[in-house]
Amino acid sequence: MNKTGSLYVPGNSLFHRLDGAVKLVLFLCWTVMTYLFLDLRVFAIMLIVGIVLLISAGLPFKRIAFLFWLMITFTLLNAVFILLISPRFGTTLTGTDTPLIPLGYGKINAETLFYVLTLSAKYLSLLPITILCIFTTQPSAFAGSLNRIGIPYKISYSVSIALRYIPDLTTEFKTTLNSMQARGMGVTKEDGSISQRLRNLAAVVVPVLQSALHRIDSVTNAMELRGFGSKRKRTWYSGQEMTPMDWIVALIFVIAATIAIVLKINVLKGFWYPF
Amino acid sequence: MKPIISFQHYGFKYKNQSEPTLKDITLDVYPGEKIWIAGPSGSGKSTLAHCINGLIPFTYGGETSGSLIVGGEEPVNLSIFELSRTVGTILQDQDSQFVGLSVGEDVAFVMENKALPREQMKVDVVTALNMVDMLDYIEHSPYELSGGQKQHVSLAGVLSTDAEVLLFDEPLANLDPASGRLAMQLIDDIHRDRGKTIIIIEHRVEDVLQQPVDRIVLMNEGSIAVVGTPDEILSSGVLRQYGLRPPLYADALEYAGIALDAIKGLSIPQKLDVAGLKDTLNAWSERSGVKPEGARREPLLSAQQLTFGYNLEHPVVRDASLNIGAGEIVALLGNNGAGKSTLSQLITGILKPQSGKLTFAGEDISSWSIRRRGEQIGYVMQNPNRMITQHMISEEVGLGLKVRGIAASEIQERVEQVLKVCGLYAFRNWPVSALSYGQKKRLSIAAILVLEPKLIILDEPTAGQDYQHYKEFMDFIHTLSEQGVGFLLITHDMYLALEYADRAIVLHDGRIIAEDTVAAVLSNQEVTSAARLKETSLSLFAKANDLTSPAQFVQAFINEEKKGKAHE
Repeated sequence: MNKTGSLYVPGNSLFHRLDGAVKLVLFLCWTVMTYLFLDLRVFAIMLIVGIVLLISAGLPFKRIAFLFWLMITFTLLNAVFILLISPRFGTTLTGTDTPLIPLGYGKINAETLFYVLTLSAKYLSLLPITILCIFTTQPSAFAGSLNRIGIPYKISYSVSIALRYIPDLTTEFKTTLNSMQARGMGVTKEDGSISQRLRNLAAVVVPVLQSALHRIDSVTNAMELRGFGSKRKRTWYSGQEMTPMDWIVALIFVIAATIAIVLKINVLKGFWYPF
Repeated sequence: MKPIISFQHYGFKYKNQSEPTLKDITLDVYPGEKIWIAGPSGSGKSTLAHCINGLIPFTYGGETSGSLIVGGEEPVNLSIFELSRTVGTILQDQDSQFVGLSVGEDVAFVMENKALPREQMKVDVVTALNMVDMLDYIEHSPYELSGGQKQHVSLAGVLSTDAEVLLFDEPLANLDPASGRLAMQLIDDIHRDRGKTIIIIEHRVEDVLQQPVDRIVLMNEGSIAVVGTPDEILSSGVLRQYGLRPPLYADALEYAGIALDAIKGLSIPQKLDVAGLKDTLNAWSERSGVKPEGARREPLLSAQQLTFGYNLEHPVVRDASLNIGAGEIVALLGNNGAGKSTLSQLITGILKPQSGKLTFAGEDISSWSIRRRGEQIGYVMQNPNRMITQHMISEEVGLGLKVRGIAASEIQERVEQVLKVCGLYAFRNWPVSALSYGQKKRLSIAAILVLEPKLIILDEPTAGQDYQHYKEFMDFIHTLSEQGVGFLLITHDMYLALEYADRAIVLHDGRIIAEDTVAAVLSNQEVTSAARLKETSLSLFAKANDLTSPAQFVQAFINEEKKGKAHE
């Protein structure tokens, strides 16, 4: 996280310049496409496109590493568990059974192995686009974009205000934890049993939450004094007007999603198994 | 001329309270005036401010009586936003007021709510930031700004609305002395250049009077006690009666036996036209200004050449060495960002130094954990809400003992004793939430004191407290020091240091640049200007009146104050 508490990494790639709402549309289309199919060919194409976009955005790997490895780990765990729990699941999709790896209580067959590969590719094809949307969108500009696509501004502004004050709360939490530790109630190993440490942690959470509520009160006052909520419409300082590029990208993805739906209904109906 | 704000026999009672908070207020504020509303905590000055900016009745409901007109209208007939076109408010809590994710965005907040087109906002934001000289920071996030800078940004936001009245709610509360002086200067510039009506709510007398004000309104127990020009109020000597601290040089004149009532021009430390003044003061300085012998003390904490930095090229603390003796009160002074908090975190073990050594009562504690150091060194943070975690007062105090596995009967005994010492015994079965801010502050000290540390670090112990509470609290600290507890006071408040500390250590840019008696440190102009400390009004006054030895004059004042304490 940077100092503003958001994950935004400044830059000037195509993705950085795209409007936040367009990115949201894009993300939704991409998700729809991913969930429609169970076809490795489609995912291969999506993965390649996604990776090219990700590389072109020039995000430093260090910043995205955590989310990256988190999603990879999740996908791998998911694959392993499917293989262990239902080693012959693929058969229900293809009707064939080609036993491959003996497990003792059953055998993992080739169909399941291929199914797991397809499924992992499915999840992974969401990875580049998720990272792109999160790391290239400036939060306050995003609030404006959300408002533009019809979400009431009082709701979309809460995105921005949450990002503004989360770092304050984190600092408060750390400070309180430090003061507790100095009085002998820490959360490290030397501070007692796990249950004791959890109780200590809980004792710190309560006052921080109370102070958060108090903070909400004074922020609300400050916002009201400055006219928030007095008009039905509101404009946004951050962000840009929609450019032709935004419209083109949004259009391309809506068309792509439509084609995908047509394909799903007519051509690539089920699980693709080439063997 | 028609007043822009007019209270006529106005009263207000909060919804859930039985007694009115404001009683029979009659006050006219005229366009272009600069008014200072002063009074102790609970005198109703904040409530009065809420009535002016519309938080009453729009956010805080209650019953009103009499009449109030703001900008020709009754607030009740407007919305809070319409009212904000007449009255712009700069809140005390700069963090809550700063809602944008960047400076530019925050200034634009009002314009966004007015639904101005983006192009125009960009232009107006630049103009507004120029007025407060903050244009260079337009892209900065609030985390990169000091409290004073955040306040400037808030002011830019309010100026962009063209409100005729600017209402400052405790503008000095969270600022160091240099930023405070800058803030008062900026307020005065805006008052002159733009002809705005200024209303300042504050209780810090000397700091507000650095710039002229037209009228002082003294509030007490919900009513207006006195209204007058600064000269009238200061000469009449009523400030102390209403929980406010008169300028120190005014006190010094009284100590020297000079009656204030005939003197004009007391509002700033300047040359006074009083026959024989210089001779009387010189004689008094010589008589009373004897520097006390420094008592020999058992060394308690000793830091040797501590260095710490997140980036070793620019350490936050470098080569800092200091000693604190048993029963000694040492003030740690310095501007924001000088490394004061970092140094105290190194002492408590929250941070580990890259090099240097720490000893406590002769023992090397460098390898001790936060927790182990906590048994010897208590750390009381500025904000008591960061330290209090329990619901009941006695539980909060006993918490540290409980985790140390001490028997319940002993805990009870020690808790009760500490509560008595801290003047909280009567509240021992109360919930924490029933305490005032100042009482919570005392509670946070009680919770540390019960662990019987030998040294206590106090971070801004008197911030946000009015003079009466301040004095009570510090006298209490003084008593503890006489029982052998050592104190390190981290503070911006020069008078606090002057009156209560035995020594001062000045930190600037991570280095210790001075270590001496407080009077000597604060009379050394090289040190005060480097560390952005404020030269005391006492020494300014002494210099303006050509006294033989300003340092002796300051010392005489301190000695008289201490003598006063002994008599109480």
